[in-house]
Amino acid sequence: MPTRTQVPQKGVTSTVRRDQARRLRPWALGLVALLAALGLQGQLYSGQERTVATIFMFVALAEAWNLIGGFAGYASFGQVVFFGVGGYFTAVAMSHWHFSFWVSLLLSGVIAALFATLIGIPLLRLKGHYFAIATLGVAEGMREVVTNMTDLTGGGAGITVPTVGNNATTAYLGNDGFYLLFLGLAALSVLIAGLVARNKFGYALRAINQDEDAAAALGINTTRTKVLAFALSGFITGLVGASYAFQQVTIFPERLFDVDITVLMIIMVVIGGSGTVLGPLLGAVALQFLSEFLRQNFTNLHTFILGAIIIVAVILLPQGAVNYVREARRTKEYSLLANVRKYRL
Amino acid sequence: MSGFLQATVYGLLQGGLLALVAVGFSLVWGVMNVVNLAHGGFVILGAYVGWEMHQWFGLDPFLGMFVSAAVLFVFGYVLQRFLINLVINGPIFITLLLTFGLELMIVQGMNLVFSADYRSIGTSYSSDSLAFGSVRVPLGRLLAFALAVAITVLLVAVVNRTRTGMSILATGMDRGAARLMGIQARHVYALTFGIAAALAGMAGAMIGTVGTFNPSAAASFTLMSFVVAVLGGLGNMYGALVGGLVIGLVQAWGGQYLPGTWVNALAFLVLIVVLIFRPTGLVGRPYYAARLEV
Repeated sequence: MPTRTQVPQKGVTSTVRRDQARRLRPWALGLVALLAALGLQGQLYSGQERTVATIFMFVALAEAWNLIGGFAGYASFGQVVFFGVGGYFTAVAMSHWHFSFWVSLLLSGVIAALFATLIGIPLLRLKGHYFAIATLGVAEGMREVVTNMTDLTGGGAGITVPTVGNNATTAYLGNDGFYLLFLGLAALSVLIAGLVARNKFGYALRAINQDEDAAAALGINTTRTKVLAFALSGFITGLVGASYAFQQVTIFPERLFDVDITVLMIIMVVIGGSGTVLGPLLGAVALQFLSEFLRQNFTNLHTFILGAIIIVAVILLPQGAVNYVREARRTKEYSLLANVRKYRL
Repeated sequence: MSGFLQATVYGLLQGGLLALVAVGFSLVWGVMNVVNLAHGGFVILGAYVGWEMHQWFGLDPFLGMFVSAAVLFVFGYVLQRFLINLVINGPIFITLLLTFGLELMIVQGMNLVFSADYRSIGTSYSSDSLAFGSVRVPLGRLLAFALAVAITVLLVAVVNRTRTGMSILATGMDRGAARLMGIQARHVYALTFGIAAALAGMAGAMIGTVGTFNPSAAASFTLMSFVVAVLGGLGNMYGALVGGLVIGLVQAWGGQYLPGTWVNALAFLVLIVVLIFRPTGLVGRPYYAARLEV
């Protein structure tokens, strides 16, 4: 008798262990990637360090967009507004009010999150294209507001963060410092996405994405959940914007509210796989790497080729690389043409 | 007072042009639920075709715009038939990204072919103007306005009264039912997109005569089309006309009375207020605003 009861118990504990191991595996892989990125720093020279730091920046931005656009399914086409608000808050706080960078950085994130809450409450009632356009309108409008608040922001002529001399509140971080800062932000954003993906909040967002009315009927406070996701995504984007402003030293409204930054975030998420943690990370690394490669080798044609790649990627891999691999492994259907068949007329 | 009158006249004239820029955008959005981010690229492409016609054949831009329309119609038809139709049933990100990719290629292509210099299609009469008391009306702009409004009205008539137009409307309302009635949805979609591109091209040729243009102006025309289409509302062919005139007036008055470049923020303020309080637009039908991706 005892042997008969022991055998299944052994089986149960081993599946539990295997289950735990499987759940811990992504975290372990993340840690390995983080250590690898730290180790990589010593191998790069200064210019490369800056390029890789930009890749980390886009990882953080793509993960942030994924929270609202991927998990909740709300295509925010004005996400860059939080980038701009964060960047300008830091620049103004450091040059006018002599805040240290670290204080400004944190406050920038908080201000961007508050701003997201403020605009999210009315705008998240809109759906589909209308939400996309309303957020785009907010971003374009904010750019004009910042351009016109010349006393505070310097207007179109830009604002310069003091980095040298007595006015400098925080010493310039240099390429080494910014590499670590953007790596930290990328790690933070992946961590947040990983936590969201596994807890109740993340499931609520996915439910909203699939059917908002059904989600509400299940007792999810949809408004609060969406606004919270928007604020969280704004928080990360604000942090990144603040760091970018400090890195660039002089910032202009045209760049900090550039709609192309939003579009890049979206493309990275869609190509990698929206609604996943790994997708935006892979998408950001791949696209930024490719873009940099094209810029160096085909300077004139760079944007043209990028456009063509986006078109091909969207037609062949509309669900993103990560989702494609997952589905293909489950259904044993590896043909990309199946994707085309799904969405064509 | 004369400043106000002058701004009003200018705003109306500009509004008519904006209506022509946006009417195709609004049509495509209403019928296919596609927000075409390459629309501004079509406008500028039309301006370049008009410019080339004027440069090489001495064709008056108001005739050259029909060449622009023909070129852009073919371009739009082919794009929709062989590219956009491939993803038409996908989620909104997909069509948005596809048309954004197109926009990148069109704008960068124009940059390579025509350079980023500002150009303008000069005519002998474009600097003439009529004077009514203290209000001056530039002749070129008046002509552009009249043509823009006429074309918009003509489009409405064609869509509402001809067999082809009704098949476009029917496909927009219910594609499945339309196909059961023997309508070829692929062809109708391509036709709709071609018409939209042709109208954008015409508007572009007119813009080339009353002002300057270069490839990077494309994005601002796409944005303006957004604002006008949303303000006017979808599902009513006169929506773009109403939206265009209102935005033209608001911008002209804003330019007259607001300091700095605050006027640029005004259009977006209007957009957001309309979206929050009246998402169907001024004259749009609720069905189109409530509709999500099919």
